[in-house]
Amino acid sequence: MENLKNIEINPLKTSSSLGAVIVFLGIKNAVVLMHGSQGCASFDKVTLTKHYRENIPVYTTALNELGAILGGSSYLKAGVKNIADKINPTFIGITSTGLSEVNGEDIHATFNELKKELKESGDYDNLSLAYVSTPDYDGNFEEGYKNAILSLLQTFCIDDKNNIRNISDYKNNDKNKDNGAKDVNNVRANVFCPFSFTAMDFLELRDLLEDFGITPVMIPDLGTSMDGHLDENGYLQTTSGGTDIEDLKKAGLNNLNIIIGSSLKSLIAPVKKITGLDTYYFSNVSGLKNTDLFFKFLEEISLRKTPERYKRQKRQLMDAYLDTHFYFLGKNIAIAEGIDILDSFSEVLSEVGANIKIGVTTSKAYENLKNRFEILTEGDIDLFGELIESDGNEIDLVISNSNAEYTAEKIGVPILKAGFPLIDRIGHNFKHYILYKGSANLVYEAANLLMSVNEKLMKEV
Amino acid sequence: MQLKVKEELFDEPTCEHNIQKKEKKACKTAVPGSSTGGCALDGAYIVLSPIRDALHVVHGPINCLGNSYNQRTSESKGNETFYMYGMTSSINENDLIFGSEDKLKKGIIYAVNKFNPKGVFIYNTCVPALTGEDIGGVARELTEKLNIPVVPVQSQGFSGGKNLGNKIAGDVLFEYVIGKKEPNIDILTDYNINLIGEYNIKGELFLIKKALSDNGINLLSNITGNATMEEIMYSHKAGLNVVVCSKALVYLARKMEEKYGIPFIEESFFGLSSTNNAMLHIAESFKDAKLIEKVKKNIESKTKIIRKEIEPYKKFLTGKRVLLYTGGVKSWSLISALNDLGMKVIATGVKKSTEEDKNRIKEFDANGNIIMLDNGNPVNLIKMIKDEQADILLAGGRNQYTAIKSLIPFLDVNQERSSSYTSYEGIVHLGRQIYLELNSPVYDVIRKAN
Repeated sequence: MENLKNIEINPLKTSSSLGAVIVFLGIKNAVVLMHGSQGCASFDKVTLTKHYRENIPVYTTALNELGAILGGSSYLKAGVKNIADKINPTFIGITSTGLSEVNGEDIHATFNELKKELKESGDYDNLSLAYVSTPDYDGNFEEGYKNAILSLLQTFCIDDKNNIRNISDYKNNDKNKDNGAKDVNNVRANVFCPFSFTAMDFLELRDLLEDFGITPVMIPDLGTSMDGHLDENGYLQTTSGGTDIEDLKKAGLNNLNIIIGSSLKSLIAPVKKITGLDTYYFSNVSGLKNTDLFFKFLEEISLRKTPERYKRQKRQLMDAYLDTHFYFLGKNIAIAEGIDILDSFSEVLSEVGANIKIGVTTSKAYENLKNRFEILTEGDIDLFGELIESDGNEIDLVISNSNAEYTAEKIGVPILKAGFPLIDRIGHNFKHYILYKGSANLVYEAANLLMSVNEKLMKEV
Repeated sequence: MQLKVKEELFDEPTCEHNIQKKEKKACKTAVPGSSTGGCALDGAYIVLSPIRDALHVVHGPINCLGNSYNQRTSESKGNETFYMYGMTSSINENDLIFGSEDKLKKGIIYAVNKFNPKGVFIYNTCVPALTGEDIGGVARELTEKLNIPVVPVQSQGFSGGKNLGNKIAGDVLFEYVIGKKEPNIDILTDYNINLIGEYNIKGELFLIKKALSDNGINLLSNITGNATMEEIMYSHKAGLNVVVCSKALVYLARKMEEKYGIPFIEESFFGLSSTNNAMLHIAESFKDAKLIEKVKKNIESKTKIIRKEIEPYKKFLTGKRVLLYTGGVKSWSLISALNDLGMKVIATGVKKSTEEDKNRIKEFDANGNIIMLDNGNPVNLIKMIKDEQADILLAGGRNQYTAIKSLIPFLDVNQERSSSYTSYEGIVHLGRQIYLELNSPVYDVIRKAN
């Protein structure tokens, strides 16, 4: 449908450079530099500031007419040096943009030159850099996010194949224990989560892993960096919290990789290759069935039993399902979100018995979800509105981001706001939608919206 | 290739900033590694997108629109309003190879058929500008085919910043929209004015309009908050242009003076004294004794009413110290409003101010004590606030977290502001908001726990 229109009307999509920026914001003491026109950085910064309600350290190389035509390498170099001198971060994540890529300049070469220059000067020993190519006319948000993660691993993960301490080696061969391959009390996991996770989702997952005795290195860690906390030092010009570069360097020395999220599925092979570690993938960790599977996995790799508090949370989720299912009977849900929320939310809501009627998403990578939706397509919010309004769809609840507010309001359907951007809500960093507890939160929130509409209808009768 | 921005846009005889400099550059260029504001596209979109019955189509990769739309806070009322829509051709790699003019055309035709707008603005961006797409040609062709004005806006971001974009927007309005239609005779009165640069943030236009009509002054066209294509088309019939808080759009006012003989004045509606002055200056421009008399009388009674309303706030606010960090015109116009409330402005940001703005600051600075703050980087701001013992920071949203993370009370006075601060009602809102913020217990609670 989309291709025939030749225009995006209220886009759901965002660009690859934005995906990369967000990954870099999940690194500790970081600043992001976008190589492009000042607008590229400004637009992203504005949205991110409104979404997170935090200072967002995104800067621009301010490529102008001359640089755009004659080459922008001097702009990139000057940008990095100015930031390093002015702000003194330990990490600068650099992205390209549509503008800096379109004339075919070899930005990667400039980046390598720059690294050399900084090293030779000796003044920037505490500064680490990573670069990811994100031409905005190619790919989408998810690709930018994935490529930035890979760039971090490629840049920092030390290649030390002799030192690999795979979790499976440990399990298969007990004598590895003796040479320190793995201490059962100190399993270390590289954890890759999708952007659909709220800051609270990141933090809850971290707690869960730690409760199983697993030390997570989250790449990126949007939990400790973007949860919204008042730093001891007050205002900071860099990120406050996030993945430590030192931990990234040792990522290959950990015991396993855990990748969560449909959008990150294609990370499995490259992450496995770069780290050389066993890699476990979960399309989502939402709903009763999938969370059970995840706990089973954690029990296996940690050789520990599920702690009581999580068993209790599972019982709470079961009760939440039973209590709320009445409100979902015969109700039609329409979701316009990126692939990960589309997957995890529809998983939970279908378990509790709602009809998952319409799904509109940002890319074509949704094949595995086709059975769960009556209509599933790539598209914009305008198309989403058309589908909601078409005869026979009778949608009761919409799930989307702030950009769908106007559409939902015009049609008169309640909207559960999740995803990105959420600029007309506050506290969404504290929402929690995964695992047992988060799934219960989701069904309660959705049921309350449906209930309020029911009450309104009753009054009108 | 349409890379060149009109040389004229860099040349602003009414801008003293510009006269002093030898080379004709846009007022300010960004430095690599900075985090200065938006690009020309941002600036053009801010000015034009409030025109509510036109479609606004950004021709570029998805990031130029998709990463940040639906965020302006201009209010828009009326049957035909596409203000909440964001549209883009979202060009991809294929389009770069095969060209995307055709896609752009088809996309616009689809949207026009669906929404039936009164006009279309096509915004060019960096990538298609570099690959040499002819959006001017597309616009010409579609204007004929669709029978509505289709306006090309050469707003590629590498040409310059927001300010330049504002000017580019003014230029296309002048060239493609203004003067293209005559108004119905019955909407004209003896005193017709246009406002230029008023975007109806939080419904501020509605307050200004009310104050104008109380004085018998007819707001013929508002450029551009809540505007329709038609009202801008016939704006050339006004007797006076009032430029509000926008240095960049003085360019448009000057062009309209040259072509249509409409004089212009620059006014601010922030604060009681400013609003009074604006009303009086407007009346004086019409050189009509009866009107001037009426306005003077109105001012007298309004002043009494408003003074009474702000009294309780003023009592508390008198002597409180403010650091003001905002752009251009607001660097002085808000000083007047804060003086009305009895507050003491200790410093004001002048990074985006022109020489004329700076002279205006001096006018409001009775004791010559106001520091003109050129470097508003966050660290500097915090230091200044602490050194000068400011009670509150009034600034734009980007400095909100700088302030509150440092436990400094804050009020947003830019486009994210939570209520309207202009005109007579606005000064009461402003006083009340500052009063409430300064009385919030939260900073003390946190300071004690910290």
